[in-house]
Amino acid sequence: FTASLLLGTTMTISSNHWVMAWAGLEINTLAILPMISKSHHPRAIEAATKYFLTQATASALLLFSSMINAWQTGQWDITQLTNPTSCLILTSAIAMKLGLVPFHFWFPEVLQGTSLTTGLLLSTLMKFPPITLLYMTSPSLNPTVLTFMAILSTALGGWMGLNQTQIRKILAFSSISHLGWMTIIISYNPKLTLLNFYLYALMTTATFLTLHSTKASKLSTLMTTWTKAPALNAALLLTLLSLAGLPPLTGFLPKWLIIQELTKQDMA
Amino acid sequence: MAVAVVLLSGAPFHGGCCRHKVFLSLLGPLLSNSKLYSSYRRPGAEPKKKLSWQNADFSFKKSIDHLKTQLSLLTKETQDYLQGPGGHPLSQHVLEQTRVLWQFRSQEDLNKWVISSDVEIGGKSKVYIKLGRNNQAALLYGTLNTEVPRDGETKYSGYCSMRSRPAVGSFNRKKYYDWSNFNSLYLRVRGDGRPWMVNIYTDPYFSHQKDDLYSYFMFTRGGPYWEEIKIPFSKFFFSSRGRVQDNQHPVWLDKASFLTLGLTIGDKVDGPFQLEIDFIGLLNDRAHREEFAYETYDKN
Repeated sequence: FTASLLLGTTMTISSNHWVMAWAGLEINTLAILPMISKSHHPRAIEAATKYFLTQATASALLLFSSMINAWQTGQWDITQLTNPTSCLILTSAIAMKLGLVPFHFWFPEVLQGTSLTTGLLLSTLMKFPPITLLYMTSPSLNPTVLTFMAILSTALGGWMGLNQTQIRKILAFSSISHLGWMTIIISYNPKLTLLNFYLYALMTTATFLTLHSTKASKLSTLMTTWTKAPALNAALLLTLLSLAGLPPLTGFLPKWLIIQELTKQDMA
Repeated sequence: MAVAVVLLSGAPFHGGCCRHKVFLSLLGPLLSNSKLYSSYRRPGAEPKKKLSWQNADFSFKKSIDHLKTQLSLLTKETQDYLQGPGGHPLSQHVLEQTRVLWQFRSQEDLNKWVISSDVEIGGKSKVYIKLGRNNQAALLYGTLNTEVPRDGETKYSGYCSMRSRPAVGSFNRKKYYDWSNFNSLYLRVRGDGRPWMVNIYTDPYFSHQKDDLYSYFMFTRGGPYWEEIKIPFSKFFFSSRGRVQDNQHPVWLDKASFLTLGLTIGDKVDGPFQLEIDFIGLLNDRAHREEFAYETYDKN
């Protein structure tokens, strides 16, 4: 299944044709489903079903938008998405794939129903192909819609993560929030989106792997990990502060650059 | 010849009629009100006689009052959200080791529970609930009757149960609780020596898992003294539609939405029963280290 995930991701990020990109996304969806439902617990099956339904809908919308564009313009090139209707449908499809507000409701539930390692894959590897498609089509997309979704994602990701006691749900809302930051700058400086994504993936990987090694899935367990692995706990503290975007740490860099770019665009 | 002509002319009519019947038989389940997959109704559920749209009340004053009630509930929920998880500060959530969920001190506490028996399937058991002496406990009492109803379908009978009503928030939304800090159920009861079954129903999102139940037994002593029974959640076994499943897994308590607790008596012994319940709560038993009491099968 891991090989299928890598195949699907590689197909999508290296494709020029919409059908190849769509096929890669479908391979990714189908490959991750057995990994989500591996434990055969009813909650894991529920998470897998929710994931499949949302991702299948998003893939169908993506194909639909590319077909409208092909019908209007006569070509299937990803970078040549010019039809406005196609752009709008594609934006909603990518938002559904990524978990941007208002298509974010599935993400915390799916992450909560899976193990930490599968949650890591869902937060990092599964986000990479849609972000690549967003990067390739960013000049054609409506900046207002993207900005609106990004601001809502950043705000709701922060507020809804406040009273959570399950760590996987907190990390899901953190992911939604970071996706908001990535989306807001994609129309003006797409490379900052990629930088933000790479750094987010690095920090999230560190967080998930640390939590997996200490077997902490809820806050009360996390409170006592300092007795079992003090050095790892200290490293986790720094990683979480970096995820939050505290200035001397790496996580502040993309936020700073994004705000600087938005200021240049008279938006901040 | 004439008969043949009539028969031949009638053939397309009959064919159409048959096609019409086949069409109706295919669409029959969709057109009828019953569930597509089963007509089994869980104990405690009231039989649906009216459709939901037929129960709609178009009184303006009642709707205004209802809206005011729901808005006040929403305000309270917002204030609880500002305080912390579950309306309590985070420190309380992290440090608490016990929590009382249901205690029986007034009629309001009794109204949070629903009693049912095999009368729904045509049986003759009786069950009642009332407040005990000095309003200090709930008394669940009745008579169990294992006589099978003569409907040609039912083979077994004789059960009584008491189920908690699911908690709803404002505008009838589901309330979510996090019980993952606790690992045991704590009941203070005084029984009559009969065994009971404790059932936990976690309301799943999809309808395929609506018949799933987690159960364990509660054995009571008949003495005059109160018992404090601790049942670890690791002991609850998984069953679906009353059949214990081969693939067992522990009950997840992180999303206790619509998590209803039920007490059922069905020990196949005719006669009266009594159970007094002081309170039902949760406990974090640090001495209990078991994760799951039953073997789980690894697939693939």
